[in-house]
This record gives sequence, structure tokens and C-alpha cells, in this order.
Amino acid sequence: MQVPAAIGRWTAGCLLVVASLGAAAATPPPPDSMVTDRAGVLSPDVRASLARRLGEYEARSGHQVVVWIDRSSGGVPIETFAVEAFAAWKIGRAGLDDGLAIFAMTEDRALRVEVGYELESRVTDLVASSVIRHTMIPRIERGEWDAAIEQGVEAIVDTIEGHAGSLPAGDGGGDLPETGLWGKIGLGVLAALFLLFLITHPRRAIGLLILLGRTGIAGGLGRAGVGDLGGFRGGGGRSGGGGASGRW
Amino acid sequence: MKRRGLLILSVLALLLVVLGGTCVSTYNGLVTLDQAVEGQWAQVENAYQRRADLVPNLVQTVKGAAAHERETLEAITEARAQVGSLNLGDVTRDAESLQRFQAAQDQLSSALSRLLVVSEAYPQLRANENFLALQSQLEGTENRISVERQRFNEAARAFNTRRGTFPTVVFAGLFGDRFATRSFFTASAGAAQAPKVEF
Repeated sequence: MQVPAAIGRWTAGCLLVVASLGAAAATPPPPDSMVTDRAGVLSPDVRASLARRLGEYEARSGHQVVVWIDRSSGGVPIETFAVEAFAAWKIGRAGLDDGLAIFAMTEDRALRVEVGYELESRVTDLVASSVIRHTMIPRIERGEWDAAIEQGVEAIVDTIEGHAGSLPAGDGGGDLPETGLWGKIGLGVLAALFLLFLITHPRRAIGLLILLGRTGIAGGLGRAGVGDLGGFRGGGGRSGGGGASGRW
Repeated sequence: MKRRGLLILSVLALLLVVLGGTCVSTYNGLVTLDQAVEGQWAQVENAYQRRADLVPNLVQTVKGAAAHERETLEAITEARAQVGSLNLGDVTRDAESLQRFQAAQDQLSSALSRLLVVSEAYPQLRANENFLALQSQLEGTENRISVERQRFNEAARAFNTRRGTFPTVVFAGLFGDRFATRSFFTASAGAAQAPKVEF
């Protein structure tokens, strides 16, 4: 009696695997930085500073704004690529859906601003389209990629916040470096404790490790310790095709 | 004898508990998937409603600049009225009414994309900020519609797969229409794509 069910489930499982493989082929793995440039059009300094500024913006406001530049979206329209990448990378916070992503494909000559559900009322299709048409495309056409992306991102962040100059300057002001320092100290103390336990009570050392793993303290401290401001980790946000595209 | 009776009774009780547990988890699993379909349908309706809301404004704007495109405009107004007057019961559980819904919406889609094509011939329209604004909203909405439709189809398929798998299919049959198979959208020529307009 169980055999047909098993076969049915197995078939469904295979279909699922095939489907996810298909999706994986089109969507690259999640980026590890807020700004990724696989086409090599940004100068390294601008890319790094923009990533830092967006990291600081995320730390302040909670909004994840991600930039992804590549040569091509691989045969699918940029709109499809954007929706799928947004979903796969989980940009924005879970339940809040407050992320946003800017995609640029240099060989397809296409731009897309994909807006998380919650930000749709602030970054309307109209505003997104206007930033693309008036701020980004004219500069891209002149070959000024640094300016196009930087000012495009600034315009979008200003729109989210409702006033100009909203994107942090990225000079590391505020309490963030302090967190980094405390993170380092905390990590040092824990490491020392672990070594001490390892010698005196090996079992407790392992217990400590398991405890850290469970509570995720190690991850949090590690992140703060390394101070990878500008790194990206998907938060579980979603988008529904809102935003705008432009071609040049 | 007494001990044997007790043994049989306890085995029966255990069987009942296991069976009951399976039924509960099957039922809850179906309800969860069912709710996902409902939620996704609401998103589809939202996206379509959003488009319908844009139409009067769009027609008004185009009328001012391209008065002799009366036919195109009338087709849009008519299709919009059709969409507004749709009286469908439980669309997602009835293949026929979903088909009617889709047909009416697709008619509006094609009327709107015709308008965008026609508008290319009017430089005055293409320079009109109001029109450009409406156009970008329309494009965004078409994109939302195709995204939400696709997600609805995925949710409906997930539900149908679970519902149609043995032994769940037997269990679900006991509830009659409560877990009816869901119908989903079919791709129709040109409807899945947002009208493309170059700037």
C-alpha cells in the first residue's frame, strides 16, 4: 500500500530538484557584498566605499540596498532575473520586506530597480523610473559608471528616507566601530575561556562550543569582530515585481 | 485471558493514536498549503486591481493628446468595464470561472498594449510627463501581475501535488469540496509579457 505513495513522492521530489536546478542555473549565488561588480565597470575604490556606505546605512536603518552589476542576465529579461535573484537572495528583512536591489547588465544595456513590498509606497515605480531615466542612464551613456551607480544609489536612498543626503558618508562615524571593538574583546575572552576549558574540563569546552553555536553568539561576535561592514547576508525579504526598468 | 484482552486493547489504542496523529498532520498540511494559495490569490487580485485603477487616468491623458484614437480608447474602456463587472464565485476552485477571469484580464492587457504602441506616433504624448508617469506605472503593474500570477501557479501546483498524492488523496476526498483541486493560469500569447516600450 505504501509503494504508490513512495513513487509519487519520489517523482515529485525529482521534479522539485530539476526545478531548483533550473532556477539555480539562472540565478547566481547570493553576493557577499552590498555592491557586486562582475562586469568590472566600477573603480575598486568606489565599489568598496559604496559597499561600506550601504553597510552603514543598513546598520542604521535596517534597509538592505544591494547593487549587482554583471554583463548579462543570461537570456532571460532583466525583470525576471531581478525577481528571481531578489527571492533567492532574500534581500530585506523577513516579514518587513524592506529591501531594494539595483541591477545593471552592461552587455544587455539594461537597468532594473527591484523594490521590496514594503518600500513600494516610498520608492514608487514612477520614482524608480525617473532615477533610472534621469540620473543613471545619461551618465552610463557618457561612460561614467562610478557616478551613475553612486548617484543612482544616493537618489534611491534619499527617496526611501524622504530627504537629501541620507546615505551615510561611510567614514565610519557613530557607534559601529565600538561594537566592532567590543566584539573583538568578547571573542578574545571566549577564545581564552575555551582554551582554558579545553585543558581543565574538555567536556565543558565542547559544551561551550555547542552553546555558542545554538545561540548564534559566535556568528554575531564573529561578524562584529571582523567588522565586515558592507557585507551582505539575506534577511528573508521579498519583492513582487515592483520598481522600474530602463534600457540604453 | 484478562491480560490478553488488555494487550489487544492497548495495541488498538496505540494504533488509534498513530492513525489520529497522521490524520491531524495531513489535515494541517493541507490547510497550510490551502492558505498559501488563498494568500497568493489575493496578491494576484491586488495587482490586477492596481492596473484597473490606472485605466481611467490613462484614458483621460491620452484623450487630450490623441483624440482620434477613439477606437483604441473605447476598447480599453470597454475591457475595463468588463473586468469590473466580472461576477465570479470561488475563482481558484473553479476552472471555468478562472478562465473567464483570465480572458477578461487578457483582453484589457492587449487593449492597453495596443494603446502603448499607438502612442509612439504622438510626440506630444511622449513628451508629456503625466503620460510617461502613467506608462511607468503601467509597466510596473504588468510586471507585478506576471510575478504574482506565476507565484499563484506555484502555490496551486504545490497544493495539488500534495492533495493528489496517495494516501492524502483518499483523506482529502473525505472532506468533499473543502480541499478541491485548484485551477491555475495558463500562459496565453503575449499576455505574460509586459508591453515593451523603448524610451
